[in-house]
Amino acid sequence: MHTFAYARPATLAEAVALLEAHGPAARLLAGGTDLVIRLRDGTARPAVVIDVKQIAELRPAIHEDGGRLVISAGTVMTDVASDERVRRSFPALAEAAAVVGSVQIRNRATLAGNVCNASPAADTAPSLLVYDAAVVAEGPDGTRRIPVDDFFVRSGVTTLARGEIVTAIELPLPARKMGAVHMRRTRRRGHDLASVTLCCGVDEVEVTRLAYGSVGPRPVLMIDESGVLADPAATDEAKAPIFERMFADASPSPRSMRASPEYRLAMLRVLGARALRTAIDRLAQG
Amino acid sequence: MSEMIQTVLIELTVNGRRRALDVAVNHTLLDVLRDDLELTGTKECCLVGECGACTVSLDGRIVDSCLVLAVEADRAQVTTVEGLAVDGHVSPLQQAFLDKGAVQCGFCIPGQLVAAHALLAENPHPTVPEIQEGLAGNLCRCGCYQQITEAVLATAEEAAR
Amino acid sequence: MRTDRIGGSPNRVGGIGRVTGSQQYVADIRLQDVLEVKLVTLDCARARIISIDTSVAEQVPGVRLVMTAADLPQPVPRFGPQLSDRPVIAVGEMKYHGEPVAAVAAETKDAAEEAARLVKVEYEELPAIFSVAAALDPEAVLVQDPALRAGDPRATTNVFREHRFGWGDVAAASADLVIENVYTFPMVTHFAIEPHGFMAAPDGDGIACWSSIQHPYLLQKMLAKILGLPLARVRVFAPDPGGGFGGKQNPKLEPLVAFMALRTGRPVRLILTLEETFQAVRRTSAEVRVRTGFRSDGTLAFQDIAADYLAGAYVDIADRVVSKGSYPACGPYRVPDARIVARSILSHTPPSTAFRGFGNPQVNWAVESNLDEGALALGIDRLEIRLRNLARPGEDFIPGDTPADGDWGQTVRRAAELIRWGSPLPEGRGRGIAVGIKSGPTTGLSYSTVRLLADGSVLVYAGTSDMGQGARTVYAQIAAEELGAPLAWVTVVMGDTFSVPYDQQTSASRSTVLMGNAVLRACRAIQDQVRTMAARLYGSDESAIVVERGVVRLPDREHAILEVLKPGLGPLGGELIGNGEMRKDPEPDHPLGGRPAFFEFNCTAIEAEVDRETGDVVLVRHVTVSDVGRALNPLQVTMQDEGAAIQGLGHTLMEHYTFDERGRIRNLGAIDYRIPTSMDLPLEMQSAIVENADGPGPYGSKGMSEGALLCVAPAVAAAVRDATGVAIRDLPLTPERVWRALRDRSTS
Repeated sequence: MHTFAYARPATLAEAVALLEAHGPAARLLAGGTDLVIRLRDGTARPAVVIDVKQIAELRPAIHEDGGRLVISAGTVMTDVASDERVRRSFPALAEAAAVVGSVQIRNRATLAGNVCNASPAADTAPSLLVYDAAVVAEGPDGTRRIPVDDFFVRSGVTTLARGEIVTAIELPLPARKMGAVHMRRTRRRGHDLASVTLCCGVDEVEVTRLAYGSVGPRPVLMIDESGVLADPAATDEAKAPIFERMFADASPSPRSMRASPEYRLAMLRVLGARALRTAIDRLAQG
Repeated sequence: MSEMIQTVLIELTVNGRRRALDVAVNHTLLDVLRDDLELTGTKECCLVGECGACTVSLDGRIVDSCLVLAVEADRAQVTTVEGLAVDGHVSPLQQAFLDKGAVQCGFCIPGQLVAAHALLAENPHPTVPEIQEGLAGNLCRCGCYQQITEAVLATAEEAAR
Repeated sequence: MRTDRIGGSPNRVGGIGRVTGSQQYVADIRLQDVLEVKLVTLDCARARIISIDTSVAEQVPGVRLVMTAADLPQPVPRFGPQLSDRPVIAVGEMKYHGEPVAAVAAETKDAAEEAARLVKVEYEELPAIFSVAAALDPEAVLVQDPALRAGDPRATTNVFREHRFGWGDVAAASADLVIENVYTFPMVTHFAIEPHGFMAAPDGDGIACWSSIQHPYLLQKMLAKILGLPLARVRVFAPDPGGGFGGKQNPKLEPLVAFMALRTGRPVRLILTLEETFQAVRRTSAEVRVRTGFRSDGTLAFQDIAADYLAGAYVDIADRVVSKGSYPACGPYRVPDARIVARSILSHTPPSTAFRGFGNPQVNWAVESNLDEGALALGIDRLEIRLRNLARPGEDFIPGDTPADGDWGQTVRRAAELIRWGSPLPEGRGRGIAVGIKSGPTTGLSYSTVRLLADGSVLVYAGTSDMGQGARTVYAQIAAEELGAPLAWVTVVMGDTFSVPYDQQTSASRSTVLMGNAVLRACRAIQDQVRTMAARLYGSDESAIVVERGVVRLPDREHAILEVLKPGLGPLGGELIGNGEMRKDPEPDHPLGGRPAFFEFNCTAIEAEVDRETGDVVLVRHVTVSDVGRALNPLQVTMQDEGAAIQGLGHTLMEHYTFDERGRIRNLGAIDYRIPTSMDLPLEMQSAIVENADGPGPYGSKGMSEGALLCVAPAVAAAVRDATGVAIRDLPLTPERVWRALRDRSTS
């Protein structure tokens, strides 16, 4: 591993100042489950590594604030997956967090880190999109709330500005009842990177939100307000055109070795239909 | 303070013993355990957090020590396989690994044991799927998974008596 | 019965070190003043090396040596177990992705890595061959310099060797039904959790070398030859490998570290990364064409098998894998006429080597799958067709070879019973059954020394490598049994060619049979001395005294050996020393150089459920039954069987190298090369054994560490076929491949 300068700011202001000063030469270190691999294989060669884990404002915490559940940037997947409020209000996020890597990985990897890497295959991204989550960023110009859907650009690229640091992920507590589920395809049952990752949520006013990843440069959110998908009595023929519109933006890379585009697109449809059924069932079960 | 530094004096407690040492910022906890502290029970294999051979407990939670910079372990409590025996006697889980035939070549076993200890600490009565899920981050190429699961189950049952 | 004797399952000898972390593998050994080595490789599959500039790398603080081919004796020494074709380091041309072109030795790992990055290699990337078809193209470049095979007419092709086996006359054979198909077997790697480690240090006027190697004595011999040293100046330490599976049989980078140690006058150490192990060892992939002739009653009329195995850029042991693996390709069946043509083909890929099963799983996959095709076409039950054709005990099923050495039908019937063959299954599920045989060692030479110390404790010297199979435990059990010592009083010494007598190798599931017999004979030599002692002490005639299993039987009384030993040794104490030799001499007229000491025989039966929408295969039940002759340690037998079965699930369901269009391996490392985890097991796995004490090993044992891997793939594919009606002839059976097959069937 090449050497670098290591900084361990204690306050958010310090971290922002460091980020502003070093720009792209700096990398933030949260859980390290992605960054340390890149430091070792040389695909990341930052001059400065800024460890954010001592920043008071980022310390692991999940709390409610003004109708939102706020998950601090230092919160790891294990705690997201096991948190009672997450499981109750955002079960698909808990499901997604619970399948990110192994126990060892989930004990280090943060939800914010998963979002900031902006991997198209990020397992938590679809559920965050379905739940209308926002990224809270602190920067030289103050605090911004960026809807997750406006945050992802492509793998490794987000709409964060220079000097901005993500402090939390916020999820609006649902005003309406919703049934939701996270599903994925992998090459084995043990932990693996997803070749399709998908979340479907159906709410009590028959709006269906479907988000998916690993089939294009960034995760995608699609919304059906026609009520057709949410209707348990709707026929497959009625649903098909809606699904097709929803999946029209999927464009899996032919370069991937994990699955062919053909298979991914087929599985997107299989998972979409299965997830919809489960979401409807869960809504019905309350 | 946040000055730029390339070696850092860290203090950590490893298997109950306090250690203070200078570590390079680009060295991992695994490097420091094996090379500086000469605790070679923790093994090095994939270096990408996939195999679990380097599993240690960090402040009560298992991690892949190949993905933790040593400096991140400053002020932490670390338990490695060398810290599992009690008063010079192997733990019931270590003994169960031997009794149930969970050990072939043994190279993955330190990681398996640290992970299994943590699993039982958190969930004293795990089911087979819970054990399999909990230990999925520890690869065993000899294929002792069944016997490892049996050893964890047997230890849990014995503790419940 | 005491659990530490033969037939018991005591805790693994050496187990405590493995559960406490004190077991020292190569990478755990600290040598004073050791230099760390890092390899320099190029990111391509094949290249002409134009120049190597080491000047910048040498300026990195702490760097002591940057070695290239130019720093070695000229011509650069070459070595290899079959042909001396592998250079110590790449010379002129780099022939596979990952072949080292230079190596740095430095005071620290950081310095070595930094300097390795700064070695400037000017090179021209050349087109690479990484498939059978490309290698056989008449226009194909030659992987190997023909000069290395002077006098070999095939030296001007990429076919290293072609083996022709068989009997009868396939061309003239008639059949009621002929089925012909091509099956492919993927390129997979050993993925031992311990990456290979090598160290070397000057040792007086000789050299010491540490390696996680299965064949330390072969390494000793090879280093002696390459360095021009007598054997007695080459000391090899072989700490227990952290998993071998064949991948650690033969020397790889030991000569390089030895030259670096001699050049620097310092100990040097090279621990590979997992990625580098992928580029060091792999299984030989294969394309197998099978034409099987059947009579209408399901009996086999002929087998016509053509197997092309893709070896790497250097032969290593790959051609032996091909010949030994394909020789019993017809399986454990009576086949009136057989023709087997097997070729080892060179390519610009990492040298393929031994891997558990040794060439058999590749042909077994094809032949067993094709047998199912015949059964289905003839409307004969797939279990029945196997039972009908199985060789009976003692039958000369491969003419001129070792006759069938077990009641194989018993094994198959047991597997069928455990899988509940023939009972109804829910929709979406299917069953498959397959059998596999593998020839045991064809030659062998093992020596053991056993020392019975004055207090009755025992030292056993055995040059086997205990890489997890449990050889140490079995030898300790044999000595405990024969000399009457508690297991805790037996120490087995291994892993040092200066203190432990010669053993040919640790391979082919030989160690219980060959070294086990050597240990047994060494114990018997001690028993002879005890008998002489007893005759002297008790004034009895030697011929009237029997010493066996720890007991001295005189006409009028019995003593434990220890009770005779103490007075027998007298006041000065001392010890009794026994030597044992087990030899299996070559038979030059046999196609393999010798008949196998035994066959490993296994039957695997699978119940699987297939998700038709996703292609997921869930193994509901996996049954594996092996004929082991006699289980000296039943728990270890179970561990070997189930471990081999799980390893077999890897190449069956998920493992394979992926190449880019230039021949680089894309899925190097653990993220994109998937092996089974604890969550990928069958929902239920059951192993059983057949014991008829009909093996050549101690107490009737046979070797058994590979059997349960042999026929996993055809059994699983057969279950998938039974569940879906779709035959898949390429491995692994990934969800995508199964999905594709189901889709292609429904659209065709």
